[in-house]
Amino acid sequence: MNDARVRSRLMEEKGVSRREMLAAATGGFGTLALHAMLDRDGLLAAGNPSDQDIAAINPMAARVPHFAPKATSVIFLFMYGGPSQVDTFDPKPALKQWEGKEIPVFKKKHAFFKETKATAMPSPYAFAKHGQAGIEISDRYPNLAKVADELCVVRSMHCQSNNHGPALFQMNTGFVVPGHPSMGSWLTYGLGSVSQNLPGYVVLLDQRGAPVNGTLNWTSGFMPAAYQGVPFRPTGSPILNLGLADGVSAKQQRARLALLQRWNERYAAANPGESELSARIASYELAYRMQMHAPDVVDLSKESAATRAVYGMDNKTTQFFGRNCLLARRLVERGVRFVQVYSGGNEGPTAWDAHKDLKGNHDRQCAQTDQPIAALLTDLKARGLLDTTLVVWGGEFGRMPTHQGSSGRDHNPYGFTMWMAGGGVKPGTIYGASDEFGYAATENKVHVHDLHATILHLLGINHKKLTYRHLGREFRLTDVAGNVVHDVLA
Amino acid sequence: MFCCSSTTWVTLAAVTTFALIVADHAGADPTAADAVSRATFFETRIQPLITEHCSACHSRKPGRKLKGGLSMDDPREVLQGGDSGPAIVPGHPQQSLLMQAIRWEDDDLQMPPKKRLTNAVVESFARWVRSMEPAKSDDVAADKGNELYDLTKARRHWAFRPLAKSTTPSVKDDARVRTPIDRYVLARLDASGLSLSPDADRATLIRRASLDVIGLPPTPAEVEAFVEDASPDAYEKLVDRLLASPHYGERWGRHWLDLARYADSAGFHDDLDRPNAWRYRDYVIDSLNADKPYGQFIREQVAGDELAPQSVEAWIATGFQRNGPSNENNVAPGFREQYRLDQLDGIVSTIGTVFMGVTLGCARCHDHKTDPFRQQDYYAVLAVFNSSLYVDRRLDEEGKAFQSLTLTAEEMLDKKDKQKPTNKPSAMALTDKSAKPRTTHLLYRGSPQMRGPVVQPALPAALAHFAPVRFQALGNRARTTGLRLAFANWIASPDNALTWRVLANRLWQHHFGRGIVATPDNFGYSGDAPSHPALLDYLAQQLIASGGRLKPVHKQIMMSSVYRQASTPTTIGLKQDAPNRWLWRMPKRRLEAEVIRDSILRASGNLNVKLGGPGIKPRIAHEVIDQSQRNKWPVVEDERPQHWRRSVYIYIKRQLRMPMLELFDAPTSSTSCAKRPVSTVPTQALTLLNGYFVNKQSRYFALRVMAEAGDDPADQVRHAIRVALGREATTQEASEGASYVSRQRRYHQAAGKSKRETDKWALGDYCVVLFNSSQFVYVD
Repeated sequence: MNDARVRSRLMEEKGVSRREMLAAATGGFGTLALHAMLDRDGLLAAGNPSDQDIAAINPMAARVPHFAPKATSVIFLFMYGGPSQVDTFDPKPALKQWEGKEIPVFKKKHAFFKETKATAMPSPYAFAKHGQAGIEISDRYPNLAKVADELCVVRSMHCQSNNHGPALFQMNTGFVVPGHPSMGSWLTYGLGSVSQNLPGYVVLLDQRGAPVNGTLNWTSGFMPAAYQGVPFRPTGSPILNLGLADGVSAKQQRARLALLQRWNERYAAANPGESELSARIASYELAYRMQMHAPDVVDLSKESAATRAVYGMDNKTTQFFGRNCLLARRLVERGVRFVQVYSGGNEGPTAWDAHKDLKGNHDRQCAQTDQPIAALLTDLKARGLLDTTLVVWGGEFGRMPTHQGSSGRDHNPYGFTMWMAGGGVKPGTIYGASDEFGYAATENKVHVHDLHATILHLLGINHKKLTYRHLGREFRLTDVAGNVVHDVLA
Repeated sequence: MFCCSSTTWVTLAAVTTFALIVADHAGADPTAADAVSRATFFETRIQPLITEHCSACHSRKPGRKLKGGLSMDDPREVLQGGDSGPAIVPGHPQQSLLMQAIRWEDDDLQMPPKKRLTNAVVESFARWVRSMEPAKSDDVAADKGNELYDLTKARRHWAFRPLAKSTTPSVKDDARVRTPIDRYVLARLDASGLSLSPDADRATLIRRASLDVIGLPPTPAEVEAFVEDASPDAYEKLVDRLLASPHYGERWGRHWLDLARYADSAGFHDDLDRPNAWRYRDYVIDSLNADKPYGQFIREQVAGDELAPQSVEAWIATGFQRNGPSNENNVAPGFREQYRLDQLDGIVSTIGTVFMGVTLGCARCHDHKTDPFRQQDYYAVLAVFNSSLYVDRRLDEEGKAFQSLTLTAEEMLDKKDKQKPTNKPSAMALTDKSAKPRTTHLLYRGSPQMRGPVVQPALPAALAHFAPVRFQALGNRARTTGLRLAFANWIASPDNALTWRVLANRLWQHHFGRGIVATPDNFGYSGDAPSHPALLDYLAQQLIASGGRLKPVHKQIMMSSVYRQASTPTTIGLKQDAPNRWLWRMPKRRLEAEVIRDSILRASGNLNVKLGGPGIKPRIAHEVIDQSQRNKWPVVEDERPQHWRRSVYIYIKRQLRMPMLELFDAPTSSTSCAKRPVSTVPTQALTLLNGYFVNKQSRYFALRVMAEAGDDPADQVRHAIRVALGREATTQEASEGASYVSRQRRYHQAAGKSKRETDKWALGDYCVVLFNSSQFVYVD
């Protein structure tokens, strides 16, 4: 089906006029006459421009969502390596009773590693109920526990691979194989970006390195490169090539640009039918604005000392993740659509991948992230941003409730926990359940596709309608599956 | 509408179209008496068993969750199934999940979980399932009726018809007709009251033809010679020279590598090196340079091991099927068969879109939703490839001969538990495990756990009319099944109109920026119709007539007035046909990522034209290298001549692509790419303005211009424009540029630079602007 018809339907439903749609589409795009370009390309005459048509001309043009959104931005706190559900948000007292005994639900073939056993390994942590909602949280999260009433904890997640690479692909792109656009790409493709001075989709890596799959985790896949995630360096010039080239002064740069724009305008004027040539001129204007604004975003000295302290930036343990959480808030404040913040990078021991010494690993990972995450939620709320910012917490899968070796836990895609906050989800909620051991999701199971469908829904997008044509077919973030989990919506 | 992808996730298709054997559906059955007796059997025998053994967990009760999402309160609900899909395949107990569960066949699915049912009870359930009328189709597509899969209708589809023999149309103005191609295009323009634009000037034409055919701009000497060549065949000589250049294979080979999803690393978890992948890349380049007949090119890539078992080149060609992402060294034991099927799907789907222009891969899990392919068709083609396995055949140090005449066990990669590619010279190839074909089952919803009937190798029914095929075993002495070769012969047959239409369209697409069919990977019902159907068939016939050689058809296209016309828009053209669908002017195009980089190197004088060999790793900024995890790119502080080779030789690392190429829309290489997007984004501007590569090469370019044009800023500017844009500067450009360079000189001089450094940096600033200009990155 032609997306133009989707757009047309949308406008009918919403009573949005073509003029309004175009006003939205041209927002922030300088003096560029997107309307004229669409007209020129025959797209207006052919009905209405599709997402893919607009993408070809101005990829970041703000779009009208399918219906009124609850959230306008997403911060995805990605706990790379796979945090253990039974040691964080899904307490299982049965593990204590079964300690050292083989639990009946365990299947050898579910394990990724040979040394994984069937014997129950109780959590080393104590759990307590927090907030009015009585959300159970382990004692590794003392700060997060104070904002428990903001959380909507989903204890019945499941996905399709017990292997980091494919599972990361699935959490990020919906598919267990590489090559598909990531969620942030879909969102910026579907909605454009409010911020014309910053990329619409920013990735903040752990200081210890990247997760497996590298850049494929934030790829735009078969979509234009405009939609790929842009990793921001936490200090200095945040984007590659944002700073001036070696030996080039600002004055020289201005002279270069002045000459260049004169040439490009002359060439565009001689070729009135070529919308891409005008888009090119605009892209240099945007690049210039980006050079002005992006360094300002990462300049955390603009924040008060108190704010920096709340995020844990004055503490060795929390400083890195704290800085990235604060940066995420500043990005969202400036209209960035999707920010992904990684906790954990490089190899297992520096991520949540606790094959050995679960306690040592999760003590450290929780300590690094607890205060910053709590600060982020509190800060977003205080600034009135939590209503429109969806915060998502989770990894690519969870962990086994049984032993790997003597003190570790293996990967577990059959049941794990994620939580969301703000952005139109029901606060102070627990949704779904795993079995008595926390081995597999049993009640109200939520597949990754369902999570994706729900996130898109919160941003005003019908996941079945947001499509991109590639290899002769219409692709979606949710493949051919996905159900919005209506019970978690506020 | 959607088509499912090739992942392992399977939806719970609502299977609601069968006639159910329950009392209120009895009328739907062929004989009411049978139906009644079966209904009775259900009520008297099965219902009580369900109540006794299943209902505790699988019955709807207020306040209780259904286990596994499955209700067994009503037979229709059993059919519809739960979280794991339909519990019953009517008529087929063996394929029914319910039966697998109660037989305790699978460790994961044992029902009832606490106590196994007696054999007699299990047999009753089996009898019930067997008695149900088999589904007419596995899928909801059936509710569209059979019309979609009507073969008579399919064979009338424009792409699936034999090639039409047409007489070249007559046109209003014969003066513009240079080749039959012009007639087809002019006839359509006539109908819209339009005409071709005048011929482009010589300088424009040579730049266009050079960038198009060899991916490099012409040198000033070449431009001058062509502009001044008064002989009537000056242009023809140019076209012949370009097509004979070894750079032709590099340029057009890259188009093929996009389709073949070529990369030098495996992509998944460890992103392992593929130290021998480049041999396939060189095979493609060499094949194009040799103008190898397309039929042979197909046969070698699909079945080179069977076609020419003694030929190293033919084995390397089968690397086409190895190019996709792979994860051999890191598949969990329980996922091996699924992984094998996913790999095979990559092969079948890619062959479908690349050679046949159809989305056969959509029929993996269900009948195709928009095109006349049933699931049966997918598995019939899968059966052709199902016996294959990956091999790394050892070569001698020169890579020219096999180390062993026969395939050794060590070379067969399925023998190893943890596979890692070999560093030794090898042909990264694919062959059959043995001469005995592996049995292929149709897999319901694509799942290896849901086996359907055995499927024999066959052609997709909607395409089988083109040419006959004989899927016959090669005999006892054969080492392979012969199935792939038979299939390849069928694809490559001159009678297979689809193959040649798809190829003709690709040639046209790369010459003009858009195909005659705008969806080059989809010639099915859901693809676009051709803008010039008779022209498409004409070109396909020309390809067949040339024995499958591409160069004669390239030449015919390039000799046409359509190709030689100017690209400048006209008022009437914009008014009548703004998207230029009817080709009243030559489309202007943004250069591809590789061509931009190569053109910069050519201008700076640094292009290293060495052909072939292992991939190169030019400089990638530290902070970008940090974004990859395993198997990292080396740190290069400063590039050297070995890095300044053509971009087609850059090592393609799936987890970390060259940022500059990626930004200008080079494909991901995860799936086949038939048409690159053309995006225009600020990060491209940042890269071209501020990046290491452009700034560095601009100063080399400045040194070159200084050496060739002397000291005078106006002379320098004129020469720089001549080199970069292949034309003379206008007076305005020369004076504007000269004053810019002079200003920059004052600036750098004031900063204390020496005379030579001052001149270099000042002119270098100017060259950066040239490389950023739209005229440089577009071709007229």
